[in-house]
Amino acid sequence: MLVTALLSGLVLGGTYALVAMGLTLQYGIARIMNLAYGEMIISAAFLAYVLYADAGINPVVGLLIAAPAGFLLGYVVYGVMMRPLVARAKDKASLEIDSILATFGLLFVIQGVLLVIFGANFTSYNYLNVAVDVFGTNIAANRLLALVMALVLGGGLYMLLTRTLWGTALRAVAVAPASAPLVGINVDKAARMAFALGGALAAAGGVVISMYQTFTATSGVVFTMKALIVVIMGGVGNILGALSAGLILGLVETFVATYIDPGLTLAATYGIFLAILLWRPAGLFGRASR
Amino acid sequence: MLDVANLSLHYGRHVALNRVSVRVNKGETVVILGANGAGKSSLLKSIARVARPDAGYSGSFDGRRIEALAAHDVLEAGIALVPEGRGVFGDLTVDENLALGAYAKRARAHAADSRAFVYELFPKLRDRRAQFVNTMSGGEQQMVAIGRALMSKPELLMLDEPSLGLAPVVVGELFRSLGRIRERGIALLVVEQNVKMSLSIADRGYLAEAGRITGEAAARDLMNDAAVQRAFLGATA
Repeated sequence: MLVTALLSGLVLGGTYALVAMGLTLQYGIARIMNLAYGEMIISAAFLAYVLYADAGINPVVGLLIAAPAGFLLGYVVYGVMMRPLVARAKDKASLEIDSILATFGLLFVIQGVLLVIFGANFTSYNYLNVAVDVFGTNIAANRLLALVMALVLGGGLYMLLTRTLWGTALRAVAVAPASAPLVGINVDKAARMAFALGGALAAAGGVVISMYQTFTATSGVVFTMKALIVVIMGGVGNILGALSAGLILGLVETFVATYIDPGLTLAATYGIFLAILLWRPAGLFGRASR
Repeated sequence: MLDVANLSLHYGRHVALNRVSVRVNKGETVVILGANGAGKSSLLKSIARVARPDAGYSGSFDGRRIEALAAHDVLEAGIALVPEGRGVFGDLTVDENLALGAYAKRARAHAADSRAFVYELFPKLRDRRAQFVNTMSGGEQQMVAIGRALMSKPELLMLDEPSLGLAPVVVGELFRSLGRIRERGIALLVVEQNVKMSLSIADRGYLAEAGRITGEAAARDLMNDAAVQRAFLGATA
């Protein structure tokens, strides 16, 4: 039972980490608090479903379609909706309020479209739903694949941000936006790239989620909340923080559900969240830049 | 090389700069002297387009118009600013700060050469490559800030109060480094409270007062000017 809980916790935690990394890019670098983030995740989950159920394209290939689509969506949404808000914002606080209101609206637009197309039913599909033996316990192959995909994407993003000049420039915008132009960084362009990259991660997360969970057109808000909790736990803009906090949250939720009571899962989530906010308001790893 | 004319800047109703004109020739070192609030910082920030001056001024650099550029394009044109307070990326390492210094397109191909010069100028930075900048002393952070600016391969380096808050021995080192940057043919435009030190490396100086430029002379003459001595050099005459 311990190994089962551990594995399930890692799968869930890896998923949380993956989606939280996208939100931390959007919030930490582009300074946009995107409340429609979960809807972007669910849209990608439906895309993966359609691709698999109607076109027979497996989700691993689906990811290669969904992630660029998410990037493009983020790029367009930033240019059309966010840039005017950024341009007129007097300070960080007013941009935060404006972006929350704007993306709150976007949330319902995307959700409405999804409801019209797919209805309100629970959706899922069967891909690689076969048991695999890991350390003497059985786990569905699709979950294992989901974990691997989350780790590969998360690791790849981390390398991109820490080992390339482009990624370092994005982190520079996260830690000192006022100084970034002094080295020739176009902050507006960097913000747009970060927002688009966040969209790509949301889409990747959506595909991963669709592989092993059921979802509905209205379940986006749950993922926004979870991602937000992970982002704040890990420290805004902190990629390694999001990765670790995501894994912690997944493990805690699974262990509470397995050993105490599944009904206490949400309570546990918010319990940790509250403890971290009271104990370390800047997050477990602070507002550092990795 | 740099030619700015009729530059004004308002912060609300407060006039920070009133029709200021300055020029810096190729390879020249120019210092701007003035009391706090004379608008010296505002002038450097306006040239770098970090601050937004009023419309209607003219600015050119190397024959290129710079009055309508975004801040990151001013750097691309060859003007680097080390702002007051340094503006380093404190949460990043020395190495990352220097690498970002060469982020501009003009600088990328020369990054290795520029880095060699920066390490030659500040050998300490080579040893501290992996250190986070916010754990360093003020003098070391100033080295990072100047080194980062040099990585962009500037033709004009603007420094805002580089010696502020540094220990006297560190200030001496700093000005020796500025002297070597100057020898390299990079023009310097320096705002500095340490008048004696800055005049000693400068070719020319401007006097700023309440948002205006009130005087201009060769550094040697300013050094011996009775009014300058009274105002800045603490001479009792």
